[in-house]
Amino acid sequence: MARKKISKTGVSSTARSRVTLNPKLARRSFLKLSAATAALSGAAMTAKMTGKANAAQAANDMYPDSQMVRSVCTHCAVGCGINAEVNNGVWVRQEVAADHPVSRGAYCCKGASAIDMVTSPQRLKSPMKRVNGKWQTLSWDQAMDEISAKLTEIRDTDGPDALHFNGSAKVSTEMAYLQRKFAAFWGSNNIDHQARI
Amino acid sequence: MTNSLNDIRHAKSMIFIGSNATEAHPVSLQHILHAKEVNNAPIIVVDPRFTKLAAKSDEFVRIRPGSDCAFIMGLINEVIINGWEDKQFIKTRVSGYPEMKEVAAHYTPEVVEDITGIPAAQTRKVAKMLAMNRPTSLTWCMGGTQHHIGSSITRAFCILQLVLGNMGKSGGGTNIFRGHDNVQGATDMCVLSHSLPAYYGLSDGAWQHWCRVWDVDYDYIVSRFKDKEWMNANGFTLARWYEGVLQNDEITQYTPIKALFQWGIGLNSNSQFAKVKEAMDKLDLLVVVDPFPTATAAACESDNIYLLPSASQYETSGSVTSTSRQIQWRYKIVDPIGGCKDDYTIMQELVNRLGFADEFYKNIKEVPEDITREINKGALTIGYNGQSPERIKKHMENWHTFDIETLQAVGGPCDGEYYGMPWPCWTDEHPGTPILYDISKSVAEGGLPFRNRFGDVATYVMSGREEIQLAEKGVCNPGSEVEGGYPEFKDVVPGTNWKTDLSQETIKEAIGRGMAPFGNARARCVVWSFPDQIPIHREPLHSPRPDLIEKYPTYEDKPNHYRVFTKYKSEQNPELVKSFPYVLTTGRMVEHMGGGAETRSNKYLSELQPEMYAEINPRLGNNLGIRDGEMVWIESPEGGKIKVKAFFTERVDDKTIFMPFHFGGMLAGKSLAGNYPEGHAPYVVGESANVCTNYGYDIITQIQATKDGLCNVSRA
Repeated sequence: MARKKISKTGVSSTARSRVTLNPKLARRSFLKLSAATAALSGAAMTAKMTGKANAAQAANDMYPDSQMVRSVCTHCAVGCGINAEVNNGVWVRQEVAADHPVSRGAYCCKGASAIDMVTSPQRLKSPMKRVNGKWQTLSWDQAMDEISAKLTEIRDTDGPDALHFNGSAKVSTEMAYLQRKFAAFWGSNNIDHQARI
Repeated sequence: MTNSLNDIRHAKSMIFIGSNATEAHPVSLQHILHAKEVNNAPIIVVDPRFTKLAAKSDEFVRIRPGSDCAFIMGLINEVIINGWEDKQFIKTRVSGYPEMKEVAAHYTPEVVEDITGIPAAQTRKVAKMLAMNRPTSLTWCMGGTQHHIGSSITRAFCILQLVLGNMGKSGGGTNIFRGHDNVQGATDMCVLSHSLPAYYGLSDGAWQHWCRVWDVDYDYIVSRFKDKEWMNANGFTLARWYEGVLQNDEITQYTPIKALFQWGIGLNSNSQFAKVKEAMDKLDLLVVVDPFPTATAAACESDNIYLLPSASQYETSGSVTSTSRQIQWRYKIVDPIGGCKDDYTIMQELVNRLGFADEFYKNIKEVPEDITREINKGALTIGYNGQSPERIKKHMENWHTFDIETLQAVGGPCDGEYYGMPWPCWTDEHPGTPILYDISKSVAEGGLPFRNRFGDVATYVMSGREEIQLAEKGVCNPGSEVEGGYPEFKDVVPGTNWKTDLSQETIKEAIGRGMAPFGNARARCVVWSFPDQIPIHREPLHSPRPDLIEKYPTYEDKPNHYRVFTKYKSEQNPELVKSFPYVLTTGRMVEHMGGGAETRSNKYLSELQPEMYAEINPRLGNNLGIRDGEMVWIESPEGGKIKVKAFFTERVDDKTIFMPFHFGGMLAGKSLAGNYPEGHAPYVVGESANVCTNYGYDIITQIQATKDGLCNVSRA
């Protein structure tokens, strides 16, 4: 049953429908993709089925002048591969990575919707601070100037251990390393991240 | 994780304890189900809940939250009593075995039944399943760790695998599925208050090593601290930093915490969230660096807060380490979207203004590649030195050339290397280490013995016995110059050892002689620096079994535990269960991640899972006069209180309440959505389960005990 469904509405047909911000369209392609994913990650997985969703076929369906960028899902530590089609600087479509040695083309619902990390209108677009209970936008320079001045004042008055730094398991290893190095150069061991809990 | 997700394909049985991989690591299931179907390997799931993974299991073991150690020691005892232990493995590669065996003997199946609620016959059955279906892959997640005895529980898991002889073998191992996408990489870089990168610790030697890597004077770093003593002292942790502000428990630091950075982290995954909120409101400065406002922006209601919009992970590049220790290059897909800056740029602008950019960026010109190279230079303890940015990218570009069963490249530019060069990857030619402690291969080809880290000889206090900690004669990797155990390498370059020799000559010499730089030792059953040298059961701080508190009491209170007084004995009140009669446990759902800042702002996922709820057994619900779908109050002993929808299900038993912890933006029945910047509130807000998770922290790591607290439930 699942197999039949995949051959009809599976990955290759999803690849032809453009991912878009139109909620109706986007939802439809998302649901198709997740139906395929559910079946693929289930017991019925066979080599034949994964063969259908191969990257070469997806590449043939790309827009002219598009590039396919290989990346890694950001939702859990399985490390699923992502093929992102980029056209003129815009991430236009998310493709499965059927030839990734760990994920083999599978996504969970989080991975299948990874593109919304970039397209979500809920993203912050400017530095902000709260003044008298109301949010105000401010420039990067002003925000960084104010924050560093306040940090310096606290460091001078109370000492470096008056700052606690919660870093991240969601940034790159290089950035995580910089966070730990920052604490060392700031002069405190008050630094931690999600792995503690 | 000692093996890899793909290697689970070779397991002959699998046991998951405190892991719901089906929801938390869904794509791993294809390898797990492969083993189940192709190898006929039974899946055993041990959990307080009948999870979605339990639905795939051959044997579901319902366990009382917090009693994992008793169950595992019971399995160990049952294996030994029946003579199923791997005698050769134990004789040659394990230390402290007789001492451990004596402790395990207490945990008969009947004792286990009393502590855990698992029928004695089932403990016997599971022990036999494991013994008859080797190797076993053992997996745990936060269900195994988030207890005040989490460090004992995880050690018991490891000892079980040693006793069964499942370590260093394909299809075996202790396979902890890590949570966040780069929690392995960030842990390896030790964004942690008790260590410098790569687990060097905080000793003078560790600081001197990293100062050499950074190319700065040690005295300069000393001058940055209040006094040198604070360089060697563990800092506050994520679990309890807020006590540095509130000081409800006494702190050991010269100043309270006044400023906080929240850089890529939500706070609603913290237990005692009501206290976290109180602390945030009291800070002089709170800086949130994140693509989304996070629940912090809503929970903090004072004027002290700044939000800095960082680019998402797909708008910057760098390496990430998967749960299988594979290092992948996360290529940038698009430039930061309008108004956002990537993390590296924000850090540079901050450091520039704080006046230490010259020292901080001395070796770093090309970002992020030069940072990878600095890690390659210094992170020798765990073999992060062979994975240059060029090699990582080469693997990424050729991921299709790697075999699914072995993860080894078959031909092509990466021929013979393992995907992502799982650490340790000792040199520029090393293929990576796909399975830790595997002595069937040479070290140069990815094999390893157990590390010699704790001296050559030890005398146990419980028995007075002295034991050599190095591996037995004849036990070594193929091609080893020393045929048997050997200590770690030092003084190849005079005055250094394999961890501090920046020329890396020591490592190369060891590999050249067929040996591991860190020695060849035995795995320990006795950890002489821990309060429980051998794992034992202790009742949760907030226990539903007053009779067991007497038999298995917690620890003495611990002053200065990461700079804060931490209550154990004084917190364990046998009367508490009278007012808070139900066990509260928490976990994940597939649609959301962590505190949910990303996923609750994702339109697809929000639609799939839009509402917070509490799982309640229908019998309990009916006894309390609650209807399925009605609102209920969940209350904690600390005064935390949330209003959530009752979801009747037999996944939980009638003594246990389960809640997912991904929600935020509501508190005590009131929406805080108006506290977000306009237009940036997540699509979904909900009560945070962690308002109700209880006091309680591990005695070694200070991980929060969110899986075995108490609560009360009433109709709202």
